[in-house]
Amino acid sequence: MTYRADVLIIGAGASGGVAARHLAEHGFDVVCLEQGDWPDRSAFPGTRPDWELAIRRDWAMSPNVRNRPEDYPVVHDDSDIEPLMYNAVGGSMIIYAGTWPRMLPSDFRVRTLDGVADDWPIAYQELVPYYDAIDRQIGVSGLAGDPAYPPHDDYPLPPLPLGMAGRRVAEGHNRLGWHWWPEPNAILSAPYDGRRPCVQRGVCTSGCAEGAKASTDLTHWPKATAAGARLITGARVSRITLGPQGLATGAVWLDRLGVEHHQEADVVILAANAVGTARLLLLSADDRHCPDGLANSSGLVGQRLMMHPFSVVTGWWDDQVEGWQGHFGASITSYQFYETDPDRDFVRGAKWALSPVGGPLNHILPMRAGNEVWGPDHHELMGRTFGRGASWAIFGEDLPEESNRVELDPGRTDSHGIPAPRVRYRISDHSRRLMAFQEQRAEESLTASGCQETAVASMIPYSGWHLMGTARMGEDPASSVVNPRQQTHDVPNLYIADASVFVTSSGVNPTCTITALALRTADLLVQHRSEQKVPA
Amino acid sequence: MTTADSSAEIDVSRLEELADVMLPAAHGMPSASDVKAVVVYLDQVLGWRNDLRQSLARAVAGLEPATFTVDQLAALHEEDEDAYIALTTAVAACYYLSPEVRGRIGYPGQVAKTYDPYAYTEWVAEGLLDPVVERGPIWREAPG
Ligand SMILES: Cc1cc2nc3c(=O)[nH]c(=O)nc-3n(C[C@H](O)[C@H](O)[C@H](O)COP(=O)(O)OP(=O)(O)OC[C@H]3O[C@@H](n4cnc5c(N)ncnc54)[C@H](O)[C@@H]3O)c2cc1C
Ligand code: SF4
Repeated sequence: MTYRADVLIIGAGASGGVAARHLAEHGFDVVCLEQGDWPDRSAFPGTRPDWELAIRRDWAMSPNVRNRPEDYPVVHDDSDIEPLMYNAVGGSMIIYAGTWPRMLPSDFRVRTLDGVADDWPIAYQELVPYYDAIDRQIGVSGLAGDPAYPPHDDYPLPPLPLGMAGRRVAEGHNRLGWHWWPEPNAILSAPYDGRRPCVQRGVCTSGCAEGAKASTDLTHWPKATAAGARLITGARVSRITLGPQGLATGAVWLDRLGVEHHQEADVVILAANAVGTARLLLLSADDRHCPDGLANSSGLVGQRLMMHPFSVVTGWWDDQVEGWQGHFGASITSYQFYETDPDRDFVRGAKWALSPVGGPLNHILPMRAGNEVWGPDHHELMGRTFGRGASWAIFGEDLPEESNRVELDPGRTDSHGIPAPRVRYRISDHSRRLMAFQEQRAEESLTASGCQETAVASMIPYSGWHLMGTARMGEDPASSVVNPRQQTHDVPNLYIADASVFVTSSGVNPTCTITALALRTADLLVQHRSEQKVPA
Repeated sequence: MTTADSSAEIDVSRLEELADVMLPAAHGMPSASDVKAVVVYLDQVLGWRNDLRQSLARAVAGLEPATFTVDQLAALHEEDEDAYIALTTAVAACYYLSPEVRGRIGYPGQVAKTYDPYAYTEWVAEGLLDPVVERGPIWREAPG
């Protein structure tokens, strides 16, 4: 018997969870298909002695390294950055760091202000009510009044501790006359909504066993399912189906045994992240209606992939700051070099976030800044640096280019035999100038904060945690894939809730904006439900 | 989740000798064999990361302990990256599991801490943020 849902959501991560909860709470019959499982917090490795070994294999950020059945490979031989993600209920939030900044007003107007890329068809101000609402749903810890932002509502929880390193760098910036502020984090500093607060264990990017770090498996799915949403796990979507009226009719999916099913729905929402969504649109090509991919009359599906060039600048003091400890996440942030300065040889800028440096293995076999040293000098290096450092994580604004893209790989497939995505991505010369400038300033920052030594890990490849832009938003169907409501121009009952729709990347971590946009899209769907075209 | 040939034999005494060259007694720290790092912890490490076993066996068989120097690691990295990663990961993991080593570097592991979430009011009252606030807004106005 076929069963038709009001709304089918593909992907139970950040955007999927937010959209599902809102729609279910407003009376929609929601089904979600998620290729991964519910995460098992007791299996998270952060409290185990093998934690630093586990994050290099079974708990790696790269699906290619983890290689679990629910992961799909992402071919990245032609990319300067490796895409990173997690496939489960909660999505990549299971392993994200939890920093939770909003985008800034200028981020939505880079063409008007700086003559590059494109303006968004919506403005910062339109997102503010959704940012405020999502902060309350998620449970954000932070401090209002940051002069890098227009005034907005206070965060629901007080800021997380600065830690010894955060305090020193804050004082350093005060000496330099540079901006700093406690970073807003989607991590609880106090009990909230039935969840326990952060215990500063510093293992956030391999899963938070305490449940202090927000992910939609905690913050949204229990409420969505309580309101009637149905979440099917181990369900890998292979394509979206199209009916005779040019409307989406649902999706074909494969269960863990490889048995094929079809889920029918009036409305389909893609929430599979900017790689997974582009992949599915390309997989849904059909010779008669859309030979180049579903919703792709503009030819832009998969193009304009942005991933934020990412550098790490680490500084070491001559005494202990417990540099392995503290949320990861960030203690403090700086927007000193975020906005365009006409005296520089680049436009736009970067956001900095101060984070811990990890345990001993991360010092000896660094995934970020530092060198491997063996022999007697090993102990000298460890004595000089271990526990004494902190890192500025630098996210540079990544301007969109059509040559940076997601395609289907002709050879590789996932465990169900579905073609894998291939990513082509080059860091531009503009980004290289922008990052070189930021790296130099970050070294100055740490030196002014009392560090004896600094090191730069410039534009590290293992850093594709922010996936954006492969189905951009715009008013004109010729030059965009979705309209400002995130409804595809070509298929009026197909929506995209994830960061594929980003017009530009901003220089901040995206998930606060992804979820605010997903909430807005779901809200507009509720408001316009009577006008929604659905299949006969 | 780890899959690899679990039967590959590793010569533990050869590995211990190699580990002592990589991590000798120096700068007040014990050598790998002083804390019996390989003998005590190798099984545990390979239990967690069996995928390293085969490449580690290759590295151990290919390096001659009597003449091994750390300079040879660069060549190993060049010629057989998997063997290099397995060797350095296994040696480091064994050594830093030792409670004595952890004690000497002051590392208790990733431990839970409690804190007062309202302690921030103290540094706010102390004026830590005042210079930032006094400089005024730094965000750029953008047309709506
Ligand atoms: C290590 C790391 C650190 C990060 N740190 C931060 C941070 O500090 N701050 C921040 O803002 N962001 C951070 N991010 C990014 C953040 O996690 C993502 O922006 C966010 O999770 C994206 O949300 P999404 O809904 O688009 O996709 P995801 O959360 O990735 O969810 C997509 C879901 O879709 C499912 N899916 C995909 N394809 C299919 C299919 N064919 N069939 C069925 N299901 C499918 C996947 O299994 C997945 O669960 C980080 C990411 C990583 C990897
Ligand atoms: S530091 Fe806090 S948020 Fe991070 S894993 Fe530990 S408890 Fe969770």
